[in-house]
Amino acid sequence: MSEKIGGEVVPDSTRELDIDGELDLMVEDLDLWYGAKQALYGVSLPIAKNSVTALIGPSGCGKSTLLRTINRMNDLIPICKYEGKITKGDVVITDKGADLVELRKNIGMVFQRPNPFLKSIYDNVAYGVRLHHSPTREQLDQIVEKSLKRAAIWDEVADRLHDLGTSLSGGQQQRLCIARTIAIEPDVILMDEPCSALDPIATAAIEELILELKKDFTVVIVTHSMSQAARVSDYTGFMYLGRMVEFNKTEKIFSEPDQELTKRYITGRFG
Amino acid sequence: MKKDIDLLKKRNRRRRDVMEKVGSTGLALSGLIGLMFLSVLVWQIAIPTFIEGETGEVSPASEFIPVSEYILKWDHPTVDDNGDLIGDEVVLRLTWDDNGAERTHDVAITVTSERNLREDIVVNESGVSTDAVTVGKKTKFYVQSSLTVPVEIEQLTGPVPAADETGSPAVSSFVISADVDVLVSEGELVSHPFALVAWVVLLVSIVLLSYPVTPLLKGMESLIGRQRMLRFGSYGLGVLTLLAGAFSLEAYLGAACWVVSAVGMNRMLEGMERLRSQGRDITQFDRLKHSITNREGVLLWARMLLVFSALFIPLLVDIPFLTERYQDIFQPYASGIRSAFFGTIWVMGIAMVVSMPVSIGAAIYLEEYAAPTGMTKLIQALVTNLAGVPSIVFGMFGLAVFVKQGGIGMGLGPSILAAGFTMGVMAMPIIVLASQEALRSVPSSIRESAYGVGCTQWQVTRDHVLPSAMPGIMTGSILAMSRIMGEAAPLVVVGAAALVLFDPEPLAGITGGNLNFTVIPIQIYFWTSEPEHAWHSMAAAASISLILLLATMNSVAILLRQHFRKRLNP
Repeated sequence: MSEKIGGEVVPDSTRELDIDGELDLMVEDLDLWYGAKQALYGVSLPIAKNSVTALIGPSGCGKSTLLRTINRMNDLIPICKYEGKITKGDVVITDKGADLVELRKNIGMVFQRPNPFLKSIYDNVAYGVRLHHSPTREQLDQIVEKSLKRAAIWDEVADRLHDLGTSLSGGQQQRLCIARTIAIEPDVILMDEPCSALDPIATAAIEELILELKKDFTVVIVTHSMSQAARVSDYTGFMYLGRMVEFNKTEKIFSEPDQELTKRYITGRFG
Repeated sequence: MKKDIDLLKKRNRRRRDVMEKVGSTGLALSGLIGLMFLSVLVWQIAIPTFIEGETGEVSPASEFIPVSEYILKWDHPTVDDNGDLIGDEVVLRLTWDDNGAERTHDVAITVTSERNLREDIVVNESGVSTDAVTVGKKTKFYVQSSLTVPVEIEQLTGPVPAADETGSPAVSSFVISADVDVLVSEGELVSHPFALVAWVVLLVSIVLLSYPVTPLLKGMESLIGRQRMLRFGSYGLGVLTLLAGAFSLEAYLGAACWVVSAVGMNRMLEGMERLRSQGRDITQFDRLKHSITNREGVLLWARMLLVFSALFIPLLVDIPFLTERYQDIFQPYASGIRSAFFGTIWVMGIAMVVSMPVSIGAAIYLEEYAAPTGMTKLIQALVTNLAGVPSIVFGMFGLAVFVKQGGIGMGLGPSILAAGFTMGVMAMPIIVLASQEALRSVPSSIRESAYGVGCTQWQVTRDHVLPSAMPGIMTGSILAMSRIMGEAAPLVVVGAAALVLFDPEPLAGITGGNLNFTVIPIQIYFWTSEPEHAWHSMAAAASISLILLLATMNSVAILLRQHFRKRLNP
């Protein structure tokens, strides 16, 4: 089935969702409305363990909305309603009674704009750890150091751990946010255009970091930059007007996409 | 074409210049009006004091009040602890007219170092009661006359009494200018040595932390590694100051000085150590200052302490008008606003304790928790309207709910407690609205980031939203407080008294006791309605005191706001 909207032939959300390896998260038939406006139409997405899944598509296609539904950040928006099912192992994330604290501990998120807490660099990382575990002073010091090292920012902040997190540069702040997220040892890290506010050098640093993080975490990244998706991801989903138009291995999507729409998007002829 | 543009530019420039001039003239004018306003108040005080001022005569105040009082006070003892004379003996000669015959009487005065020792001289038809009196230094005593004719006082020998340079004793009138003799008074150490040194150390460390000087920094460098010694030494001195000062106010302040300067110095040394470990020059002031101030804002503590000491120094220095004298119905110039001053402080304190937690809690609930139902909207509308209700209506509310007994009344009577509650209720809507505005302006990214690491809603509010909203909440609360500080109308309804000759009892509404109280605005209101001119100058003096009190509160608000802002975006 397909619809014709705004001069483009938009197919229904794809059903071809093959991944290699172990499944970590599964989004099934997700419909989502902001008030009366429908933002997602029957979207499904499998997310493989210890891989990077990229979501691409033009602005307003629902990439960020889909991402924010995975850790139920959309619950903060009162007019947002959804139907469908997201599961992580045995846990149904979309259940009304789901434990949101536990969920967000397991599924960390890095936002579009770096938003460190108004606390010191040390406390930015330590805050979440203190929240979920009760570490001793030494353990905490170790966790903070390890997380900052894994986020490749330790060398730059080691001598000013007690400065405010907001006193860092944009790229450093974003890496600090990543350190904050990995400090609480989540299984999945969601990244919502983490490089959109950064310069090319900081972007390169973060991309390198994402490839490094893949070893321990499952990463889902929303990006506007197709080259970035091609560089860092293993799987790519192309979304358009709330539909998951195509999902496949990244090299497949970028070399021989199934859909005409995908092809035209990645070659830059529309969107 | 080009000409036209040039013309346009010229015209624009001219208009800009005119606007600039209008703006600055307006500023200058408003400043001038403010100055005029102040000078009118000062003039009000000055006229009767200096032009119609007392001449050194004791005269009966009126036919109906036979006894008139003449107040004297010596600052320094004339005898030492063994009773031996230091310098000249003080002898007063009283002269009056006894049915055509002139009568004189000499009285010898011994001033001892013991304070509050008082013995009065009484003049009546049969003469003077005594030939010699013994009084303490800095203690007022009275020459009381029940004659219908004036009595002249002349000092024959000895040092002149306080507040007098002409040789004749003056009626002690209110003195707003503080005699800054807290620390050293004519070579005599008034303050405790430890506390004195603590103040000096604090001053030096503030100067050092604010404006580091290279030679001093080089000197301090040698202290790196001895932070512990410095810290514990200072804490020890603080404890010593407390013990030696016998837990007086001054001892507390002194101990606080020790601790603050120790922490400041410690931070400074840490910063120097850090600079040195990075191989940088320790005289890089900006980095050094940053390394000191970024964490806890030690400088701010110091500044706060200074402001608070500015609040305390008047108490130490004794501004008799503010903190010592009650109203004296016979002698305007011997009057003060002590009871009104303490009344204001108590009413403010109770209002703050009552209103701030409730209002901030309500704002948090309305902004963060309440679902946007019709009920919430109704409450919101009611709160907004409540902020515009005339203050006298709040007075009626207080009268019905807090003052009266029976029905919904709590029966606290016209007491400080009822007044504080009424003022608190009046401040609530203002604080709620200001806090809501502050909470609303917290960017959603802060909430998202906190939810993102798995915070519960209360954790998000407590750890992230509230700290960022704090500057707005603080400013709003303190502005609300300073607004109700100047309110007289509701308290007239609640029942503030015109004349209170004792310190108010804050809990009298519950525990029983004397309910009467008054506040500065009420005092001003009643004084301006007195017929005598002298009372009007007292009202002016009270107005200036109220303005100073408000200015102090507002500057604390500004400091707090700056502190929180700095923490948010350094």
